Amino acid sequence: MTILLEIKGLTKKYNAGTVALDGIDLQVKSKEFIAVIGPSGAGKSTLLRCINRLVEPTSGSIDFLGQRVEKANSRDLRHVRSQIGMIFQHYNLVSRLSVLENVLHGRLGYMSSIAGVFNRYSEEDKKKAIALLHKVGLENEVYKRADELSGGQKQRVGVCRALAQQPQLILADEPIASLDPKSSAVVMDAIHRNCTEQGIACLVNLHQVEVAKQYASRIIGIKNGKMVFDGPPEALTDYHAALIYEGKESQMYQQQVAEEQPNPTGRKYA
Amino acid sequence: MKIPISHKATKRNQRLFFLVMIVLFVPCLFYLNLSATQFAEGIARIPDIAKQFLQISLDDLPKLLTELLTSVIIAFLSVVISVIVALLLSFVIADTTAPNRHVAKVLRVIVVVIRTIPTTIWVLLAVASMGFGSMAGVLGLLFPTTSFLIKSFTAQIDEAGKDSVEAIRALGGTWWHVVCNGAIPTLYTTFLALIAFNFEMTVAETVILGMVGAGGIGVLLQEYISYYEFAPLLMGILVVFITLFLLEMMTNQIRKRLNSQAR
Repeated sequence: MTILLEIKGLTKKYNAGTVALDGIDLQVKSKEFIAVIGPSGAGKSTLLRCINRLVEPTSGSIDFLGQRVEKANSRDLRHVRSQIGMIFQHYNLVSRLSVLENVLHGRLGYMSSIAGVFNRYSEEDKKKAIALLHKVGLENEVYKRADELSGGQKQRVGVCRALAQQPQLILADEPIASLDPKSSAVVMDAIHRNCTEQGIACLVNLHQVEVAKQYASRIIGIKNGKMVFDGPPEALTDYHAALIYEGKESQMYQQQVAEEQPNPTGRKYA
Repeated sequence: MKIPISHKATKRNQRLFFLVMIVLFVPCLFYLNLSATQFAEGIARIPDIAKQFLQISLDDLPKLLTELLTSVIIAFLSVVISVIVALLLSFVIADTTAPNRHVAKVLRVIVVVIRTIPTTIWVLLAVASMGFGSMAGVLGLLFPTTSFLIKSFTAQIDEAGKDSVEAIRALGGTWWHVVCNGAIPTLYTTFLALIAFNFEMTVAETVILGMVGAGGIGVLLQEYISYYEFAPLLMGILVVFITLFLLEMMTNQIRKRLNSQAR
């Protein structure tokens, strides 16, 4: 397995003086499905946003497929970002556009300004986008406006948009934190299945330990901006989880993916 | 003893505020030399003035209507030009989309300076340099209208546009993608509502600004006032009132419809 992403000594200090990340070292190999767990305010979101520089890191190095992200100029940065899909907690769709248009936005990173502004998507891209929507069960919603959908449907559109980029890596920032348990399961399955099938590596922020154990091939625990756990899901014991969530135990059990649901992936809980 | 229920600091602040108001009010009253006799004489004159106002003449109606049309066109033109300029500039100024922070800062200061100068002053400046007429009206209204739109647009971009901007940026879109594919579709109806509101304000302003020489129906009203021609004046006031009333109803409808669409 090749190394996709290598982070060394990543630190982020915000203007107010808070240290969000404090010397994170992380290697992501291709096809890994990594869950990043930790209480809210631990720096999970900042870590993900530093990787594609939605947040500027203070120091440290980020190497994505041989390209130094933190030093990249705006053109190179665009190139890096086009290869990294992102899924947001609040879906971040353009609510006034159709579902299909939102998915096609995933292609903008590969298009010129003019082609993008005038919506000159290729027929090939359109076909692929529609196929993606079929795959996540939104075949009847293709031409609906994004704001007509339910939360779970919106997030599946968000997943399709990320997949439309044909990325090497997907960053999912709390993708199920705003969803009910049933939709959460559908969304997590959509992310997990597509990443596995297409060999996309995935970093997903979660604050539910159970969900992380259910899907991840590797779990990273973050607390106060430092990495406090890194290992396979089997190695994450209740002892570790308690340590990560020390003082914020109540967040551990919030909003777990519905366990009474039959598990569509057929995966056993680790 | 009764149990106190108020928040002490808040109560003290409120008391201080009213005390300062009263202390300031007394010297202000003396400074302006407001006299009771003048007030009484004025009151006595009201029936007389009202009687003069009660005559109305339809003679000047066609003239009034054409000038009204001019006023509306002046407002429309300046709003259209302002919208174009404001759309371009607000994405350069708004924090979420600013390509260069320093340029944004300089532009923001300029907008603040323009906004602190009242519209009347802008029109007077335009009249002074361009001469009386519609040209001065359009030019003078351009500055305050544009800065109003820029201020409201940027506030909306920073408030409502953040999420979609972040998404387009994350997937490697250019600045134009961020603005045209992300922000503008998101904010489309909000912008339309703001523009409708701004148009309504601008029409009301052109009527008044005509009086300082910016063209339109205001010029006519100013003439009637200086020659004490109350009959056509009342007609003019009525025409303006009906227009503004209808306009307000219309823009309210537009905004209501846009809001329900947004949900």
